[in-house]
Amino acid sequence: MSAEYKFINHTADLAFDVSADSLEELFLEAAKAWRISVVGDISGKALSNVMLNISADSLEELLVNFLNELNFLLTTKKWLAIIFNNIVIDKTNFLFSANCTGFHVDNSIEIKEEIKSATYHQMNIVNIDNKFSTRVVFDV
Amino acid sequence: MDVKGIQLEKFRENVWEIPKSNGMLVPGRIYISQKMLEHNLFDDEALKQVMNVAHLPGIEKYSLAMPDIHWGYGFPIGGVAATDIDDGVISPGGVGYDINCGVRLATTALTFDDVKDKLQNLITKLFQNVPTGVGASGAIKKLSRSDLKNVLNKGSVWAMEHDLGNQNDIIFTEENGTMRGADFNLVSERALERGADQLGTLGSGNHFLEIDVVDEIYDTDAANVFGLSLNQIVIQIHTGSRGLGYQVCDDFLKVLQTASKKYGFDLPDKQLACAPIKSQEGQDYLAAMQAAANFAWNNRQVIMHLAKKSFLDTFNIYESDLKFQLVYDVCHNIAKIEKHKIGDEEKELCVHRKGATRAFAPGNNQIPTKYKSVGQPVLIPGDMGRYSFVAAGTEKAMEETFGSSCHGAGRNLSRHKAMKIAKGRNISDELKEKGIIIQAKGYKTIAEEMPQAYKDVANVVDVMHNEGITKKVAKLRPVGVIKG
Repeated sequence: MSAEYKFINHTADLAFDVSADSLEELFLEAAKAWRISVVGDISGKALSNVMLNISADSLEELLVNFLNELNFLLTTKKWLAIIFNNIVIDKTNFLFSANCTGFHVDNSIEIKEEIKSATYHQMNIVNIDNKFSTRVVFDV
Repeated sequence: MDVKGIQLEKFRENVWEIPKSNGMLVPGRIYISQKMLEHNLFDDEALKQVMNVAHLPGIEKYSLAMPDIHWGYGFPIGGVAATDIDDGVISPGGVGYDINCGVRLATTALTFDDVKDKLQNLITKLFQNVPTGVGASGAIKKLSRSDLKNVLNKGSVWAMEHDLGNQNDIIFTEENGTMRGADFNLVSERALERGADQLGTLGSGNHFLEIDVVDEIYDTDAANVFGLSLNQIVIQIHTGSRGLGYQVCDDFLKVLQTASKKYGFDLPDKQLACAPIKSQEGQDYLAAMQAAANFAWNNRQVIMHLAKKSFLDTFNIYESDLKFQLVYDVCHNIAKIEKHKIGDEEKELCVHRKGATRAFAPGNNQIPTKYKSVGQPVLIPGDMGRYSFVAAGTEKAMEETFGSSCHGAGRNLSRHKAMKIAKGRNISDELKEKGIIIQAKGYKTIAEEMPQAYKDVANVVDVMHNEGITKKVAKLRPVGVIKG
């Protein structure tokens, strides 16, 4: 079981390549890269739960919607997702659900990047020899 | 010329064409100098995007790119495309996430000598009054739902009704600050939530409020008409529709991806999702996009009001002494229904300008009466260490670019590379040595936005000037900047 992300050089925005042994891990690793991008490597006591239920018309759209949901929760609800439990991805109907725990952020936590949105640019989720991978580009 | 496998044919000194191929409905046409093309940082991905845009159903004449072209999402930044409103499409990829990101320029009666001793105080006051940075909020009290509805439906008129602007501000804003087809009801709850407390905030990244000195005048007549004179203190505000606009784009990309499948469009890029302009999906996006555009005009209007207040407080003068006048407010991320000539026929088109500025010619009935003799002011900001330009629209722009010109410098270095280069340096002090005071939320922004990180905007402006698309009117030199 392994998953990793790697930020890539991008002139204007923020991009990373991510890979994992499963689709579920791929989503979690992408969430980790998003979190590192916006608040850095911080941890906090997970105090509250949010149930995430996300739908889409493709796997790529599902990943975009998932990352945008995390971004919305942070920038508008001031709530940072930390841990994801009971993750289920329906690959046929493009549904994602997870029980997410996190905490409300206060002014002591600096939000480093204003991410407008995750984009579809160069996003292509592939499974080669049971290794899932894609590129994620954020418009910042 | 071959740019990484893409063939470009020289059409004029600074105009290059990509011939139609592989499903392109029209050729690509790029306004750029050979030197800029040959620059080793030139972006082949952006050229591919020019070709991709040429696939949009109903596209007329050319898929255009201005000299500040660099890659974006769907359209390149600097991309312009016009589609026939009867059989053409509208695409959020041709507008961008920051709907109606734009620039406004205001003049004052002050000269550099009047402000130089209190410049630091002014910058501090501006920084206190105008919220900056990621997720900035609270410039004015959080909007009620009814206010938010009026902001989105009425545009800048809302600000005027709330003593945050005046009739003059309306006259000198593109579209008079109101896109009349805007519909609050088509903006999602999520978008409203993202925008509710962000009116009057700059945000982060390349957005700024800048105090400039008019440093050079190229066209005295046009400068006089625009109210610009040497050594005069002016301000530029660059921001857009904040979280509300980002969310409208995101919401409608999904709607239009479904629509693209429904109408059987074969598009080379998901970010070019589109729908026929006259379809329900197209009309809904247009109305929601217009609502976000109205939010952006109010945003810049409120910031201008806060800037005026900062000047009055700092210099302890009356409004009649300050004479704060809006020169113009231009949007550079927008789609608009406009009439343009195609051959001998005048047609109604949906003109997408993504990182491109409207540049209407003298006499055009869409520009303020005051500017009809010289053309529309075109505002082209550069980086915070060098200069910005004011130009004017021309008849040639109407003939060749659907009345459009460039919008800025474009990045030269990635933000990561800029941070690396800035390591061990103090960019604020370097700017101070050049007579520029900067205040930002954090050093990261200052480093990422350092002058070196941007291309020289003079090269961009010169291409459009030399090709007769816009003519240079004045150069502005920054003396104070606030950023997120």
